[in-house]
Amino acid sequence: MMELENSSVMTVSNSGSGEASVSSSGHLQPSALQNTDPPPPPIPVVKKKRNLPGTPDPEAEVIALSPKTLMATNRFVCEICNKGFQRDQNLQLHRRGHNLPWKLRQRTGKEVRKRVYVCPETSCVHHDPSRALGDLTGIKKHFCRKHGEKKWKCDKCSKKYAVQSDWKAHSKVCGTREYRCDCGTLFSRRDSFITHRAFCDALAEESAKTGAKPQAADGKAAATQDGAAAAAAGQDAIAATAETAPAAVMAAALPPQQVTPLERQEPEKPTALLQYMPPLSASLANTSGVTTTSNSSSSSSSSSSTSLFASLFASATAATAAGHGTATLSDLMGAMGQVDRPFVEPPSLCLATNGRPAPLFSPQAQGHDRRPFAPPPPSPHMSATALLQKAAQMGSAATGSSFLRGFGLDAAPSGQQESLQDSSLRWGHHHHAQQQQSETEPSPMLTAGLGLGLPYEPDLMMGSSQLFGPKPATLDFLGLGMGPVGGTPNGGLSALMTSIGGGGLNMGPGTATGGRVGSERKPTSPAIR
Amino acid sequence: MRAELRGSTPGHVSVPDPNPFDTPHGSLSGALKGCLGSLDGAGIEKLLLHCATAVEANDATLVQQVMWVLNNIASSHGDPNQRLTSWFLRALVTRASQFCPTAIPSATTGLTRARPMTATELVGYVDLTPWHRFGFTAANGAILKMVQGRRKVHVLDFSIYYCMQWPTLIDALSGRPEGPPLLRITMPSARPSVPPHLNVSTEEIGLKLANFAKSRDVPLEFHVVKATWSCSSDALNGHSNFLQEFASCLLDPSSLGLREGEALVVNCQSWLRYLPEGSGRATDDLSSRDAFMELIHRLNPCLVTVTDEDADLDSARLTSRIMSCFNYLWIPFDALETFLPKDSPQRLAYEADIGQKIENIIGFEGEERMERLESGARFSQRMTRAGFESFPFDEETVSEVKLLVDEHASAWGLKREEDTLVLTWKGHNSVFTTAWVPSGYDG
Repeated sequence: MMELENSSVMTVSNSGSGEASVSSSGHLQPSALQNTDPPPPPIPVVKKKRNLPGTPDPEAEVIALSPKTLMATNRFVCEICNKGFQRDQNLQLHRRGHNLPWKLRQRTGKEVRKRVYVCPETSCVHHDPSRALGDLTGIKKHFCRKHGEKKWKCDKCSKKYAVQSDWKAHSKVCGTREYRCDCGTLFSRRDSFITHRAFCDALAEESAKTGAKPQAADGKAAATQDGAAAAAAGQDAIAATAETAPAAVMAAALPPQQVTPLERQEPEKPTALLQYMPPLSASLANTSGVTTTSNSSSSSSSSSSTSLFASLFASATAATAAGHGTATLSDLMGAMGQVDRPFVEPPSLCLATNGRPAPLFSPQAQGHDRRPFAPPPPSPHMSATALLQKAAQMGSAATGSSFLRGFGLDAAPSGQQESLQDSSLRWGHHHHAQQQQSETEPSPMLTAGLGLGLPYEPDLMMGSSQLFGPKPATLDFLGLGMGPVGGTPNGGLSALMTSIGGGGLNMGPGTATGGRVGSERKPTSPAIR
Repeated sequence: MRAELRGSTPGHVSVPDPNPFDTPHGSLSGALKGCLGSLDGAGIEKLLLHCATAVEANDATLVQQVMWVLNNIASSHGDPNQRLTSWFLRALVTRASQFCPTAIPSATTGLTRARPMTATELVGYVDLTPWHRFGFTAANGAILKMVQGRRKVHVLDFSIYYCMQWPTLIDALSGRPEGPPLLRITMPSARPSVPPHLNVSTEEIGLKLANFAKSRDVPLEFHVVKATWSCSSDALNGHSNFLQEFASCLLDPSSLGLREGEALVVNCQSWLRYLPEGSGRATDDLSSRDAFMELIHRLNPCLVTVTDEDADLDSARLTSRIMSCFNYLWIPFDALETFLPKDSPQRLAYEADIGQKIENIIGFEGEERMERLESGARFSQRMTRAGFESFPFDEETVSEVKLLVDEHASAWGLKREEDTLVLTWKGHNSVFTTAWVPSGYDG
């Protein structure tokens, strides 16, 4: 079979036709959707082997279908001629016409050459062959759901769906099956409900009211020497008694007052699906002194006012750090530690504001913590080469600003490779604003010429005060090139850029980028000056 | 699998005259010829690999440069790739900072610990996606089948999920035609220091569980095996503390409280990955994976259920680990993206927990690198070597699992690979679940 290999080389016209697919073989190299006419790929050896987890079979054929094909409502599509069918049985019967092996419900067990499908949307993670989806229905659903217009809306709740079958499935269950816990939480699935109920305080309260009746468990184990231990263990589990004796806790042995500790957790609020957390326990609060007010907001130690990466990337704030002079590596490591979870806290899992004061995670605290609810950052569709070029220049100029200097480096302008293990710690000094030199105004014309058209971000290297906060657009490609770059120790970076820029980052020729940055494939301007 | 994107460059950009980026070491103009590609997963992966290589090579300048680039891509509130990148970057920073020879507490000491959850929050956490309940449902199904007709059931529970699995089993047992058995659940007090973190002790969870069982008229005994060796609270070297404590829990099998006539079930949920490979001689190192399995075998259980994530994240080579992590952990990020908004606290918390895993896998070596996941295929071979036979899930269990999966987003799928059930996301393996009986078991 597999005439597909020979016949599949359909020359794909431009987007006008819309119904196009090209397949390729080999190392998951996707073909373009247009203007290529590759020679027929060699017939591959069909190996039945188990896929590496999380990765499609490297021998798999990568198929890129057009958006129109993917959005077609016929779920079952013939790979040969793209004719669509509502039902798999019909498709299989149709496939017989292509002299393909066809299968009805039962799987034959034999594996034909596996196909994987990439999403035509270039910014999509599944555009990458290493994230290709394994089945045709899957990629169709993915495309519809992710990139298609969400035109199916549930009546009862407001959820929207791009795929009709998803919408139908949801509508069936929405509001129909409801399990309600005594605490007021609703569940659409029984297993979640059961599990929740087991651990919900509402159950404990109910038991306390009815009183825990001793139950004859299997007789002997009931009130043995463990009974006393159980009482103690219930109260203060860890410390316990039992470094040696196992602590047996039994339902039967529970005196009613045992359930009281369970009530110390805050009572449920009907609207919250998940409980809000009372103030952090002391142990947590102790870490680095402050866990949430990080970075740009107030902090006790000077250097903790900047994150690790603020120092790395931000001269202005780094200068602040430097100015204090007492900043040490430990401070910065501490700062790094503080950086890590500011945005995560609160992982309060609280879906509704229930009016409870949030000691550490009040909205005010959140406000100056970070800017997480500012406009989300753009997808990384910026030019990789642009970033790398900028990095290259930064590297040459940033003689004093490497955070790794804290490990004993002094990045001399000649920039030979440095050991990270020099003993002298010069962290905290020399945080010059040398990086800033490259951050002057862009040349608007060049920017436009390159089609980047992105907002200039003067604070590119100074603004990101959080490691993990959202970054504003960082695509000032033309911020580079102001300072002369001499003798840059860019050996490593050059190689990196060549390896990446030389095609590693491209999705193949001619892939439409849909109006995003980088859509211009041929920069018209000469090199940065 | 490496994605080799050898797309030919479409157009040549002539770069005249002094390219300021030409350096003695190589011309960057060549890179410009690649024109303005977008940074996709493969590109990010390459950057991460380069960064790791630079860290290993002590090339501070290159590290800084690549990290700068990565930092511009990374964003905890961006798209899944950006979010994933932010955690990888952090892990690489952690790794780089290992070079610092001071008495700074290690990056994982408490600093990465999120606010611990309440029990009900943990319920919501494990039910965000089918990722966890997949294994619960399958294992419980196998257990139910195996203990049919048995009056006494004893479960040894080795799991990081604090008994989230058991309410549904208790519920199912209470509905047995022959009536519920006496159920005993025993767990070690030792638990690896990994998320998810609960704000109450195991004993308290046991109390609640017992309460619940009572409400279902299922007699339950809950038992925490204390270590005979107690560790210091020093978080440095926390994992070897766990291992020693764990080993000491098992040192004396009689401390497990096994009894005659009970159907013994051993349940391992995301647990074995925390046991080291071992020295090769299983008898030497009590806490190693093989030693553990050997011990379990000697207990002659009627069933051993094992669930874990289906990926090999334990390579000795850092670059391999980065690749495999990146090509696996995108799955939960992608899944959460489909139904939770960018700034959902649940999503951020869940991702942060994965981030902690990434940090451990990439930022650490030796004993501190406690996450040593092996895929279902490798694990199955290990079980076979340890003298177990696979036990197939019955059709009813499989249907129940399928039902669970179908109730979530349509991209979740179920796959069968011989006797293994695999949860898939968009066709990629995410979690495997298996059941085993000792070869030649007679019970």
